[in-house]
Amino acid sequence: MNMRVVVVDDEPLARLAVKLRLAQHGGVELVGEFGDGDSAYQGIAALRPDLAFVDVQMPGRTGLEVLAALPPQQRPMAILLTAYDNFALQAFDLAALDYLLKPVDDERLDEALERARQAFPYRGQGRTPPPAMPLARSFSVRVGARTVRVPVADVERIEADGDYATLHANGKTWLVRERLHTLAMQLDPREFHRVHRSTIVRLDMIAELRSLTNRDALLRLRDGSVLRASRTYMPALAEALRQLDSRLAALRE
Amino acid sequence: MKVETPLLVPVLAALPVCACMAILGLPAFGHGHAAAFRTLYFLACLAWLMPLALLQRAMWRREWSWPRMALVLLLASYAMSLLNNLLGQRLAISLGLDKGYDWAGLFRGLDGCWLALTSFCAVHAVAAYYLSLQQARLHLAQAQAAARDAELRALRLQVHPHFLFNSLNAISALVSNQSNREARRMLACVSDFLRATLAHDGRHEHTLAEELALLDAYLEIEKARLGERLRLSMKSGPDLLDSIVPYLLLQPLVENAIRHGIAPLAAPGRLDVRVEREGARLVVEVRNDGRQPAERGNGIGLANVRERLRHLYGADQQVEAGWEPDGRFGVRIDLPLRRLEAAA
Repeated sequence: MNMRVVVVDDEPLARLAVKLRLAQHGGVELVGEFGDGDSAYQGIAALRPDLAFVDVQMPGRTGLEVLAALPPQQRPMAILLTAYDNFALQAFDLAALDYLLKPVDDERLDEALERARQAFPYRGQGRTPPPAMPLARSFSVRVGARTVRVPVADVERIEADGDYATLHANGKTWLVRERLHTLAMQLDPREFHRVHRSTIVRLDMIAELRSLTNRDALLRLRDGSVLRASRTYMPALAEALRQLDSRLAALRE
Repeated sequence: MKVETPLLVPVLAALPVCACMAILGLPAFGHGHAAAFRTLYFLACLAWLMPLALLQRAMWRREWSWPRMALVLLLASYAMSLLNNLLGQRLAISLGLDKGYDWAGLFRGLDGCWLALTSFCAVHAVAAYYLSLQQARLHLAQAQAAARDAELRALRLQVHPHFLFNSLNAISALVSNQSNREARRMLACVSDFLRATLAHDGRHEHTLAEELALLDAYLEIEKARLGERLRLSMKSGPDLLDSIVPYLLLQPLVENAIRHGIAPLAAPGRLDVRVEREGARLVVEVRNDGRQPAERGNGIGLANVRERLRHLYGADQQVEAGWEPDGRFGVRIDLPLRRLEAAA
């Protein structure tokens, strides 16, 4: 069954950018597009799409107002789009699936669509989807002619490197021939977390977290490395860290 | 001297003069009429202080010269003293001590009153002069701070356009090459960096955390450009993220390191950014691989950083740059270590 998608943005070029990229994915069907809040509200109520890409700042009703005005059972899964945002918290209140900063890059769009795909079969049933792939115990890394297995337990962080990814483990780096978001799905979300479009970290490696004025955050890992956590991942990261803390506290007792 | 001093100044200037007159008058009490005369002179002097102060202020406002003002004040206070003596003779007549006015006697015994009035003028002038000097000093300091601010702003603005146009140029090249995915990724990185700089409130300093985040956003653009050819590490010692550093201190240094050091290399090059604490100092190091050029060139970026540091910290900072024995180029910056709480 295809996911039925609408795109809501007041700028035609912005709608085009989303549509062109949706066309590269199978399993999605564009059923409508809207250029302002009011027609989007009526259109969504009439078409009942599964997923909506919604621009936050629009003339008339904002994207958030459109979503809030819809009764929860009519509300599609929502991926919010915003250029210069101050809406993260409201977005999460409305249980938006994801929110993307414009201009949107392909990795983040793929990732958001992947979330929608995983949530799609379970939509409205009040169940959280199980992980799509079995969790990996180690990653295969080609070094010249031989293959090395790097245990997941040794991995401290993973960085995107074009279409590949770099594993940082025990002070060494290894190049893996897989995309970052494919690796992300094979990791236990209680131990590893995406903090940025190009970085995944092991949660217990985080030694310091300092929030910044633009609501991103800066992380300092136990090996002294410093990296940025994007605001779009912060609420989920904070939650994951809190759960890690309570698990550790439970272990100590 | 064209400075408006508050009216409280003459009142305060009158206090020591009045106190002196009161103390000098004390022995007269208990000596019959002497006390009455002393009291009359005292009150009369007090009454003259007000017009005298106003006269002095009026002359300041008109910016008269000092000798001219002194002459006018001496004459005015002399006339006031004469009038005081006249009042004294009137009192003597009404008390039945004298039969009539003694015109020659008017010019005798002026010292008590005239001296008091002239010393008041002197105290008033000194106090007002001191205040105006303070204000002038304050204005000078403000003007200097504003000039420094403008210079720093100008230096900081040199940083942005440079790399912005380089990035746009790179994106344009990617578009021409139909490398759409890379072009979009790079646009997202440039937007990230712009968002980070737009969140900045215009101060010349911010926390190390903000600075490193900004640098990270910038480095992501360079990573998108250079891919595997750029090997990065960015490390910081513990508990330093709240320390204060100049805004965009690192970006020009790193831009230099990549443009002149790593980008011309055929093989991948390493760039290491390290921040450590050394006692009460914050030490920032940027090291990169590169090939030593035949002729010595000192980048605009480094000169800009030196200039800004000199403006911000005077002699309390140090920048060393040069090729190291291991063949890498290194910049080491030594700053006073200050925390966010202390600066706020």
